[in-house]
Amino acid sequence: MTMNRREAITLIGGAAAAAGLATPALSQNRKITVGALRFTSHSGSFIAFERGHFADAGLDVELKFFQAAQPMAIAIASGSIDYAVTAVSGGLISLAQKGAVKVIGGALSEEPGIDGQKILASDAAFKAGLTSPKKLDGKIFGMSTAGSSFHYMGSKVAAAEGAAMKFKPLQKVGAIIGALKSGQIDAWSIVPHIAKPLAKSGAAHIIGNVSDYLPNYQITTVFTSANNAAEQKAMTGDFLTGFSKGVADYNAAMIARSAGQDGVDEMVRLIHKYVYADRPLEKAAPSIINGTMRLNEGAALNVASIEDQLKWFQSEALVDADVTMDRLVDTSYVKTIRA
Amino acid sequence: MDIRLSGISHSYGDFEVLRNISLDIPSGKIVCIVGPTGCGKSTLLRLIGGLEAPNKGNVLQLGVPAEDCLNPLTYVFQDFALLPWRTVAGNISLVLEDHDLSRADIRKSIADVLARTKLSDFARALPKQLSGGMKQRVAIARALAVKPAVMLMDEPLSALDSQTRELLMDDLVALWTRQPFSAVYVTHNLDEAVRMGHMIVILSRCPGQIREIVHLEKPLDERSYGDSDLQFRQKYLWNLMRDEAQAADAELINV
Amino acid sequence: MSEEQETDIARQVAFRGGGFAPTPYRWIGLAVFVVLIGLAEIGTQSGFISPLTLPKPSDVLLTFVELYNSGLLWTHLAPSLTRLAVGAALGATLGIGVGVLIGLFSYIRAGMVPLIAAIFPIPKIALLPLFVIWFGIDEASKYALIAFGTFTPTVVATYGAVDNVDRTLIRMGQSFGLSWKSIVRKIILPGAMPGILSGLRISLAIAIILLVAAEMLGAEHGIGAYILEAGSLYNLERLFAGVVILSLLGVLLSSVIGAIERYVLRWRT
Ligand SMILES: Nc1ncnc2c1ncn2[C@@H]1O[C@H](COP(=O)(O)OP(=O)(O)OP(=O)(O)O)[C@@H](O)[C@H]1O
Ligand SMILES: [Mg+2]
Repeated sequence: MTMNRREAITLIGGAAAAAGLATPALSQNRKITVGALRFTSHSGSFIAFERGHFADAGLDVELKFFQAAQPMAIAIASGSIDYAVTAVSGGLISLAQKGAVKVIGGALSEEPGIDGQKILASDAAFKAGLTSPKKLDGKIFGMSTAGSSFHYMGSKVAAAEGAAMKFKPLQKVGAIIGALKSGQIDAWSIVPHIAKPLAKSGAAHIIGNVSDYLPNYQITTVFTSANNAAEQKAMTGDFLTGFSKGVADYNAAMIARSAGQDGVDEMVRLIHKYVYADRPLEKAAPSIINGTMRLNEGAALNVASIEDQLKWFQSEALVDADVTMDRLVDTSYVKTIRA
Repeated sequence: MDIRLSGISHSYGDFEVLRNISLDIPSGKIVCIVGPTGCGKSTLLRLIGGLEAPNKGNVLQLGVPAEDCLNPLTYVFQDFALLPWRTVAGNISLVLEDHDLSRADIRKSIADVLARTKLSDFARALPKQLSGGMKQRVAIARALAVKPAVMLMDEPLSALDSQTRELLMDDLVALWTRQPFSAVYVTHNLDEAVRMGHMIVILSRCPGQIREIVHLEKPLDERSYGDSDLQFRQKYLWNLMRDEAQAADAELINV
Repeated sequence: MSEEQETDIARQVAFRGGGFAPTPYRWIGLAVFVVLIGLAEIGTQSGFISPLTLPKPSDVLLTFVELYNSGLLWTHLAPSLTRLAVGAALGATLGIGVGVLIGLFSYIRAGMVPLIAAIFPIPKIALLPLFVIWFGIDEASKYALIAFGTFTPTVVATYGAVDNVDRTLIRMGQSFGLSWKSIVRKIILPGAMPGILSGLRISLAIAIILLVAAEMLGAEHGIGAYILEAGSLYNLERLFAGVVILSLLGVLLSSVIGAIERYVLRWRT
């Protein structure tokens, strides 16, 4: 793929997105299902749903909640749900290779200057001298599974520091936190709203920022079935339109703070309906605010970061070497970033 | 060694099984106990062997058992009670192993009782390979191995067909003739009783009481199948028992 | 009576005693496998079955061969077999011990049976994080999980087997004045053996199931870890290759127990 063609596609993509904006009538009140996890990083969908942005785009959206990213990706592949947001992982790439799913936009990103994912050291390891990522050599790094985004981050940090680390698969975030607290693993990387309370409780210590190593890391992406991406262009465009409005609202309120503290409070109240709903608002609010990270405006996608991730997964033989960017990503819908 | 039962009564809860049984079991004699079903024959045998304690009365051993006796009161069970995972020799060895015997002694004992019960060729067979009559012979051999003062036999032949029973009766008589032993022999079968018993104790239906004791003087080895003298005795016994048996049978139906 | 009439009367009695007797047809089981795998191969080759639904059996085989050639098969199999062996041996030994004690002593029975009934239905997988805290993330917690999972069914099977030992045999032992120890060792234990072994059959199947669960936490190598990784990468070929290994392991263990049964219980009819 040449630069020129990519630019051309980007242009078309922008045009298509604009077209989608202009013609919501094409898919008037179309019923679709959007998958989500109860994380702040999925706020784009929550806000678009609550504020009627999806309805404005002509979509009758039903939100469907999942406990983990893996079943959600399978649900997309099997057509049970239409759109969702998830991290790039070996699993996602494999599904794309099988012609089941397609990445169509970007969501959560690392951005220099904005608080992003943290590198944590367990208390025991910290006391034994693990005070900076430079000392990760020979340490044990926690991850959910091989080929997860944790695996990618840990490996990238280790490579940058010339450290050889061991990776322990622990399946669930809860299990990783448990292992970190009890010192069974030495280090981990995680979103700030989980990292900060852990650091505050003294169970772990923040020793670095992921953004120092992966400055424009495209953490989560918007994805859909390959069929939706190829055949349901209008509907997909409408979804991205609604979703982007939700994202814009989020960034404005939480990052730009364009409506001040009141704007933040209102947004937190909205998000709290979905995230940490089991805690009272006063307790949930700090976690939600701590979790603030930029969501890409217009669901723009950092293809450079995606390409880097794909290459890494291939270099680790976690996915087939012959998977191409084209197979994984459909860049016709959103603006692409190459930084 | 004699056994004396004096005034034995026994109940299970409110259910009286045996009432006031007094009986002497003389050494070297076979005492047959007959009676209608459910009258407490097996219970009585368990009381004699010390597997259960009577509510009232005593079971007494008079005199001491012979020097070489390993288990004075030894059972022969109706269903043989052989360990299926042990060979014929192993089953006999089982009851000798706990005693202070050398391996050679045990082997000699086993060989001896197997020869006496004509089982020498089957020492290595497993119970599953044996017919019912053979299994009971093994059980008898096992009982003989501990040189009992009294053998307590609870319907030892009733699981066998009538031909096998005849053969085994002959074997038992031969065993006794060669070396008399004491036995309490519980049976339903009056033919067995008149063939095997020096003394036949007839129990009434539940609660079991002694109705009559019949003594047979004719030597065991002179009694034979279809003996008219014995048939006459058997008829007498049957007349005694008939009403009881009928009543016991009816009782069961009324339960 | 004429001859004709006679032939009229003489009629062959129709046979009606067939069926209802299981006859061993060994090859049918194999044929079912072959046909199913063949259908899957044809379906996936022709594209009728999408690669997302089922991998090509030939690709699974290829993956397996690669696994074998690269030596990774052994890398994964060795730790798994060790975990199975240590965990199942621990659980089964303790289980048989406790089961026999329950069968023999009324006080222990009164105290333990409700406890066993309470822990039997706990999904042992749910306790994995707890085991990690108690025993550490390395091998000990994996042994513990498998041991715990095999322990309860073994206990239940064992005391059931002890209860089922023919009472007349115990009576016989007592009537011959056998010591308590002899009765337990020579009558109760061998008598309970069939029940214990069939309990073990189930316990070992559970141990294999728990192997995958045990390797969820912190296992870099192992068949379970291999399957979990394949699952998270949607690598269906590896997933199936791993599952086939587990199945084979199950068949193998089951036939080992079968062989032990045939040897130890050869006295049975
Ligand atoms: N352990 C027990 N508990 C309660 N009842 C019992 C027990 N053992 C026997 N019985 C009852 O006592 C009665 C006598 O039983 P027993 O077995 O001694 O009779 P039996 O004369 O041997 O009968 P059969 O001729 O049928 O063998 C029966 O009614 C039986 O139900
Ligand atoms: Mg009886």
